[in-house]
Amino acid sequence: MNLDVNTSTPHVSLTSRMLRRGPLEAIATAIIAAGVVMLMQPFFLTLYSWSFAVTLFGTVMFTIVSKVRE
Amino acid sequence: MSASNAAHSVVEPSTGTRRFAGLLVILYAIITMVPLIWIVLTSFKSPDDAISYPPKVLFKPSLEGYCNVFTTRSRQTQEFIQTLGPPQGLCDNIARSRNMVVAGPSNYVPRFINSLIIAFGSTVLAVALGTLSAYGFSRFRVPLKDDLLFFILSTRMMPPIAVAIPIYLMYRTVGLSDTRLGMILLYTSVNVSLAVWLLKGFIDEIPREYEEAAMIDGYTRFQAFVKVVLPQATTGIAATAIFCLIFAWNEYAFAVLLTSGNAQTAPPFIPIIIGEGGQDWPAVAAGTTIFLVPIVVFTVLLRKHLLRGITFGAVRK
Amino acid sequence: MNDLSTSSQITYRAVPIRPGVIRRIRGLSDQALAWLFITPTIVLLLAINIFPLVWTIYLSFTNYRANRPNAPTLWLGTDWYQSILTDPDIWAAMQVTAHFVVWTVLIETVLGFGLAFLIDKKFRGHGLWTTIILLPMMLSPAVVGNFWTFLYQPQIGLFNYVVAFFTGRGASSFQMLGDVTLSPWAIVIVDAWMWTPYVMLICLAGLRSIPDYIYEAAEVDRASNWRQFWSITLPMALPFIMLAVLFRGIENFKMFDMVNLLTGGGPGSTTEVASITLKRAAFESWRTGYSSAFAIILFVTVFGLANIYVKALNRVKSR
Repeated sequence: MNLDVNTSTPHVSLTSRMLRRGPLEAIATAIIAAGVVMLMQPFFLTLYSWSFAVTLFGTVMFTIVSKVRE
Repeated sequence: MSASNAAHSVVEPSTGTRRFAGLLVILYAIITMVPLIWIVLTSFKSPDDAISYPPKVLFKPSLEGYCNVFTTRSRQTQEFIQTLGPPQGLCDNIARSRNMVVAGPSNYVPRFINSLIIAFGSTVLAVALGTLSAYGFSRFRVPLKDDLLFFILSTRMMPPIAVAIPIYLMYRTVGLSDTRLGMILLYTSVNVSLAVWLLKGFIDEIPREYEEAAMIDGYTRFQAFVKVVLPQATTGIAATAIFCLIFAWNEYAFAVLLTSGNAQTAPPFIPIIIGEGGQDWPAVAAGTTIFLVPIVVFTVLLRKHLLRGITFGAVRK
Repeated sequence: MNDLSTSSQITYRAVPIRPGVIRRIRGLSDQALAWLFITPTIVLLLAINIFPLVWTIYLSFTNYRANRPNAPTLWLGTDWYQSILTDPDIWAAMQVTAHFVVWTVLIETVLGFGLAFLIDKKFRGHGLWTTIILLPMMLSPAVVGNFWTFLYQPQIGLFNYVVAFFTGRGASSFQMLGDVTLSPWAIVIVDAWMWTPYVMLICLAGLRSIPDYIYEAAEVDRASNWRQFWSITLPMALPFIMLAVLFRGIENFKMFDMVNLLTGGGPGSTTEVASITLKRAAFESWRTGYSSAFAIILFVTVFGLANIYVKALNRVKSR
């Protein structure tokens, strides 16, 4: 921060863009949706077995991510 | 054609389109009404007409279904019936024509009364709690407000059977199983989430300036809430109350799992109305019709607020 | 939200009568009042929803049985979760649920959006007909399930008669509720009948939220009606459609009452949706620990979807 303003500004905006709420929330939403699809798909028993873990992970992630400031 | 005319024609569909759209919608409305109309018709049929093939649209109306749903009857010999006095009332008359006498009121009446008590009890509680909380969430700075509101909404989303398992154990422990109080508390907890969300929407729409003006006039915050906000929110409170009433009135899953007699409401009871030879369809239809009439009335009253109700106050039209 | 307190404090300073005292009392009571107003609701929900939920989580790790409350309770760890998540029967129940959810939501969305689109043309008397169409969704699912069993009766039922009338098949040649291939569709039909109005009402709000000037601009650009539909109407109404789809999806995922009365999960287990499997395990076999684990699995799924639903709700709200 005590270095040049010109170099630090794009750096900050890059990390903040990575950790913004919107994309993270979208990822969590996708994970929850994937978990729900895995739970109810008729193709692979293995996917069904892991569905609960995936949904739980997605839900926890969503809850945490929604605390990140916009 | 002027510019304003062109713009007008864009938004307003042509008469032909309109008529065609109207025709299709009316066709759907009529088809969708057939099952309901059929149930109402069936409730006025005699048992033989109700199960005739092909189904009868024209028939001799009879109140037997309504009599059967409100009374229990016992089969007697002709000789015994002749020893009795003249039939008392319409239902006795119908029963005697089938070699039966009215033995007493059926269980439908207490179930219906249970439905009324539980629905109104839980509605009053849910709306009271909901109004207070909605005002709190609408006007004050509450820490973790969004999380609390989500928590409140998520309780309504829970699968009823998943909730019923621990509630069953809990009520058994504290002696609330199969009691009206237990059902009132349970329905209140389900309804309060809807009430908070809906009423928050309504209260958000009341300008804060009204209360501020009242408080300048020397009212305390609480007085301003009672004397300014509540009268302004009457419509919202009434709409919310009707929504809560309808939910509690219609609820089946908790009622069938957690009540068996004393506190049983009408929805789990109607399907098990059984006559002598299997299901007594006119009686079932009569029970259903009586049960549905209040809902139809409420739906008509609520039609302007339905959208809010089903989106937890988010969409206001 | 705090702008109210600051602004009213400023107004209070302008009031001549003992401004300091009033402000202090009111300032105190504001925060106190907020908690006083909110706490009862939270306490009720904690007692009737959260405490039982925590209890369910605990029970899901044990072999507790509600019909043998005095038997010793053993800690089983995640055994029940493992057995449920590897059980092909439960998996089959989830697929029955999937069939029900996917088809009902699909049919309701297509019909509901179509109806909303037509009603949005504002033909004469559309208000009355809309109210009539809305009626089924206000009824009790249990009562609806019950009277549809009457309509579905093989010989005497109106549904069978109408189908027979139009197809020429015998009215008693098929059983909607007793047939392995037909019964999953029987419950889909009833749900679609009941809940299409729900989707319609939300879609209608979506269509009405599209400002006229967008269509006017499109008309200036000479976009065809077809183009306008795909590039304006549908995208603009999409958040509303999503909202309806999500809510119907959640509701039908946990569907119990209507299916319980129509088929009770039968014939066999062809219509045994997840909630009915759960009810059988919990209230017929009394495998409380096992069913608690299953309940938690369903609950987490619903909770995850509820998060997405509230997100969709906020997006619609900001419109």
